[in-house]
Amino acid sequence: MARSRSRTRGQYLTMLLGILVLLLYLFPVFWMLSTSLKTRSDVFSIPPQLFPSPVVLGSYIESVLQSPPVLRALLNSLVIASGTLLLTLLLGAPAAYGLARLRLRFTVVITLVLLLAQMLPTINLALPLFVIFTEAGLVDTYLGLILANTALAMPFAVIILRPFFLSVPGELIDAARVDGCTPFGAFRRIALPLVMPGLVTVGALAFVTAWGEFVFGLTLATSEQMQPVSVALNRFIGQYGTRWADLMAVATTAALPVIAIFAGLQRFIVGGLTAGATKE
Amino acid sequence: MTASEGTTMATTDVDAEASRTRLTSGPTQRGRGRRRLSESRLGDYLFVLPAVAFIALLMLYPLFYNVKLSLYDVNLGNFLSGERPFVGLQNYVEAFGSSAFWHSLGTSLVYTGSSILLSFVLGYALALFFNRAFPGNGVMRAILLVTYVLPSVVSGTVWRWMLQGDSGIVNAVLLNLGIIDEPIFWLVHGDTAMISVVTSTVWVTSPFVMILLLAGLQSIPEGLYEAAKIDGASAVKRFWYVTMPAMRPVALTVLLLSFIFTFKTFDNIFVMTKGGPGDATTITPIYAYEKAFGFFEFSDGAVASTVLIAISVLMALVYFKLSQREEAA
Repeated sequence: MARSRSRTRGQYLTMLLGILVLLLYLFPVFWMLSTSLKTRSDVFSIPPQLFPSPVVLGSYIESVLQSPPVLRALLNSLVIASGTLLLTLLLGAPAAYGLARLRLRFTVVITLVLLLAQMLPTINLALPLFVIFTEAGLVDTYLGLILANTALAMPFAVIILRPFFLSVPGELIDAARVDGCTPFGAFRRIALPLVMPGLVTVGALAFVTAWGEFVFGLTLATSEQMQPVSVALNRFIGQYGTRWADLMAVATTAALPVIAIFAGLQRFIVGGLTAGATKE
Repeated sequence: MTASEGTTMATTDVDAEASRTRLTSGPTQRGRGRRRLSESRLGDYLFVLPAVAFIALLMLYPLFYNVKLSLYDVNLGNFLSGERPFVGLQNYVEAFGSSAFWHSLGTSLVYTGSSILLSFVLGYALALFFNRAFPGNGVMRAILLVTYVLPSVVSGTVWRWMLQGDSGIVNAVLLNLGIIDEPIFWLVHGDTAMISVVTSTVWVTSPFVMILLLAGLQSIPEGLYEAAKIDGASAVKRFWYVTMPAMRPVALTVLLLSFIFTFKTFDNIFVMTKGGPGDATTITPIYAYEKAFGFFEFSDGAVASTVLIAISVLMALVYFKLSQREEAA
């Protein structure tokens, strides 16, 4: 009895230490939020105020809600990220399904190419895509940005989704085929519903990645009207000068969807990020 | 670094196992006629086709195009006119003879090397800590990963703000603790700018390194520790003689992976310093960007970019080799 109680106390002490580590790590995120809620003069107060007082929403109202360029950038990111999500699932899910049903050697080759694709610097893709897209008239269009982002997200989606499809019993698919389903019908009606958690993981990751993507936005969106919020935020660093409260309000807004998705789907996303990264 | 860069590994044993069982899924299926089965195989290829075509068009072709670009002279002057003289390896000769190019590779190495070492040490410490059982453990681990999924432009901007010379919180804390006597203008001087970008990179990647190492720690059989304990090994000795050797292959893989992913960093440094001051933090990806989009010397950018591809592919191959050997073991 006494022994187990002391162990519990030790565990709570460890937990406290864990909370301390967490607070230290999350400080930059807290500081962003705190700064965004301060008045412009309080930002520079010495010593710095840990918590904003008074709490003001002025930066959000002025620099986000009443700022057409920021609203436009948010809309751009929404369109690009949603488009990437859709195209990634549209191409990635059938591919993962097919790869799960095909012979091993073929699968290994494709998977290797997909993995290799992920390990290349984004600028290596951005530079030739800029030249190719210029000729194809795709520079500075939503479609161009969605295509580029999907090129990044899709390999990753296939790698995560394949194990999900592997867990669908082949007998189920065969039974559906015997009952008169087309190959695509069996995929859509039997396999897809069974891998819903995988689709959610991949969709969330594709969205989050495309939302925060920077290099393509910087190079392939040549006009300010097409730039995603990541590029707009970077542009404001110089433009806003020392208006840090405003900048942090835009930064917080840009981070918000990612944090919301991460909080809601945390279990899926963490699993997805590490899927296959470790040998099991 | 972006969130999607997390995935990495080749087909796991579990995958291979599962597909093997499925391919030979019982005698009943096998008896049911070869023709229908091979027909549906063809169907399975059709499922993969669109994705393969997409990859070929938007990934393999651009990479090939990149190499092609590096062999021609494409710049602002002839970019739109379409007249692009073939110059062979001349762009490479010029790049390899320029100190700016080598400087960028050296900077990449310093940046990548120090970032992955620090991330590794910190990530390892975090993994050892979070490997202990305590309430809230799982939730805390997940929350830590927020640093990793946050858009890199957002984290870069926040670090820029925190490292401001006159009103940044970092200087305020350091001054208060008496560690420094006067504010440091972190992003204005070369050495401190490098320290700054490395710090923010380590902040982003160490929780991810932690998650990877944690999986390794959890796969060490508990029995090894029990046995060491019975033999009277202290906690330090248990770490040194049980944990360390068991973790060696995992650690090597994680280090290699971090190298691959840190070597290609762009956003973080671009947002914090744009490669400056001067060229103090101009890593090769930034050098390539500057050449292509700053000076519109697309061919010169393509040369640097091709060198990046070569290094990345080389490291990736080493990684695959290593993970294959590990799987076989």
